[in-house]
Amino acid sequence: MTPDRIFRGLFVLYLLAFVAYLFMPLIIMGAAAFNTSRFPTVIPWQGTTLDWFSAMWADAAMWRALWTSAIVAFFVVLVALPVGTAAALVLTTLHSRARSFAYAVMVSPLLTPGVVIGISTLILWRQVGIGGGIALIVVAQTTFIICYVMLMVMARLQRFDRTQEEAALGLGASRLMVFRRVLLPFLRPALLASGGLAILQSVENYNTTLFVRGFETPLTVFIATKVRTGLTPAVNALALVIIAVTVIGAVAYEIARRRQLSARPRS
Amino acid sequence: MSHSVELDGIGMRFGRTQAVSGVSFTVQPGEFFSILGPSGCGKTTILRMIAGFIQPTEGRVLIGDRDMAGLGPNQRPTAMIFQSLALFPLMPVWENIAFGLEARGMGRAERRKRADDLLHLIALEGYGDRMPGELSGGQRQRVAIARALAVEPGVLLLDEPLSALDLKLRQHMRAELRSLQKRTGVTFIYITHDQSEALAMSDRVAVMSAGVLQQTATPRQLYDNPATPFVARFVGETNAIAGRVSAVGDGMARVDTALGPLHGRAQGAVAIGQAATLYVRPEALMPGVGANTLRARVGRMDFEGAFALIHGQFADGAALTAAVPSTRLADAPAPGTDASFSFAPEHAVVLADA
Repeated sequence: MTPDRIFRGLFVLYLLAFVAYLFMPLIIMGAAAFNTSRFPTVIPWQGTTLDWFSAMWADAAMWRALWTSAIVAFFVVLVALPVGTAAALVLTTLHSRARSFAYAVMVSPLLTPGVVIGISTLILWRQVGIGGGIALIVVAQTTFIICYVMLMVMARLQRFDRTQEEAALGLGASRLMVFRRVLLPFLRPALLASGGLAILQSVENYNTTLFVRGFETPLTVFIATKVRTGLTPAVNALALVIIAVTVIGAVAYEIARRRQLSARPRS
Repeated sequence: MSHSVELDGIGMRFGRTQAVSGVSFTVQPGEFFSILGPSGCGKTTILRMIAGFIQPTEGRVLIGDRDMAGLGPNQRPTAMIFQSLALFPLMPVWENIAFGLEARGMGRAERRKRADDLLHLIALEGYGDRMPGELSGGQRQRVAIARALAVEPGVLLLDEPLSALDLKLRQHMRAELRSLQKRTGVTFIYITHDQSEALAMSDRVAVMSAGVLQQTATPRQLYDNPATPFVARFVGETNAIAGRVSAVGDGMARVDTALGPLHGRAQGAVAIGQAATLYVRPEALMPGVGANTLRARVGRMDFEGAFALIHGQFADGAALTAAVPSTRLADAPAPGTDASFSFAPEHAVVLADA
């Protein structure tokens, strides 16, 4: 065996280990949804069943939690997209020192631990008599999700050709029309992507949400509570469904995108 | 409806840099007017002041005799064609062309009709539903022109719009722009650093250098009667021979140079004793002895078809270029020999050194 082949062998081995490290937890978690065992585990395998899916389907509390998360995510997107886009637009027009200062301020929520954001939001709004609940969850989550939107929109804006804006103005367009007809269509991919990211960030958030939830129970909190009161593989079934929906969504998007590309050949 | 454009002593200062100072000229309605100068001479700044993207720090811009102070680009009767064209990549061609009409609140059906009319004007019928990315460079160019013409501007401002095209297409587009201007009668103000472009297309040309206007004249006048040393050197090829004025009279001047006394037309203020330079075009130099004779060592010869360029060197080391018509190449001296070249005094210009 040449050293070269040994190296290649080691490399393949490393690659397999790496992929296993990434996906084994997901595979075990998914497989546990089909085990008849009352606890989410694959060892021992007590028999294959789909019962946990129907258990999940019948779990009204779980559906309520999912619904709560969906409402929160909806409002988070509604607030974070326009505010994040506006922040990105302002930041790209600022210069040098003012820009780096504003940038640091805007990005700081990303560097703040989620727990701190949750607690401080709760304390602040207590002062004016507003307690935990859906509104406060939205406020707390939006604080840091805005940063993601802003960063993604800024990245796209850096590739925007400013003379297009001048061309539009020169043709008599108002500022509003420039925004609506030229800038917004250009930002569309970034807005879609950051909207998707905002939904994911909102639904999966636990540490911030926990402090501001009041009497509401979003999905992450619901699952965490279950760990204490007795977790059943119904939760695994739910996770498997969420993964399936995500993967199908991503594949469908990619197929649609490729179709659009091939329908419009570039010269 | 085309407009006149008058610049009244305009200047532009960016921080500590004076980009443009004290420029005045008047462009007649329906004129094809070029601003020519090397990059960084302030010509684009002037165009942007006319368009209203920037406000001059000194002087006034009048379009159709109206002072434009304080008016933004969307309030002026101008349209601009950018060097990058700046077509909207996410809109089909017809929406690009009709963008200015949309801004004026015209209904969709009528916009489409007007866009189709303009597509006909630029010979791109049936391209309305394509995207700009699917067009060739020359087609995109024409769409940019149609988009600007759609708003029926009084003045069309063009910022080196042909510089991205290859030579062949550029020459074709020159002719096309010129005929389009004549057909529409719109005032064109055209920015370029390419002197042959400016000379070939324009009714009049303003030559700029370092933010200062050098001369405004017809292409023929610029070439034959340059007003400043910069114009003499920048527009066309020339042989510059430095010396001192020893006689002036009857519109002519004699300059004593290292190559002997030479005669030429006096241009502007030329006084005896002044340091001056005589400029003579390569095509004015003929092999042989005449009124003004120069001797030079003949070097390389570049055959260019209609002309052959003979490169030589004077005794003091300065370079000489003579353009000899191909039909008279038989008279041309052989490389490596010392030869005489002569020119008629009325084909040379004497300008006082700046």
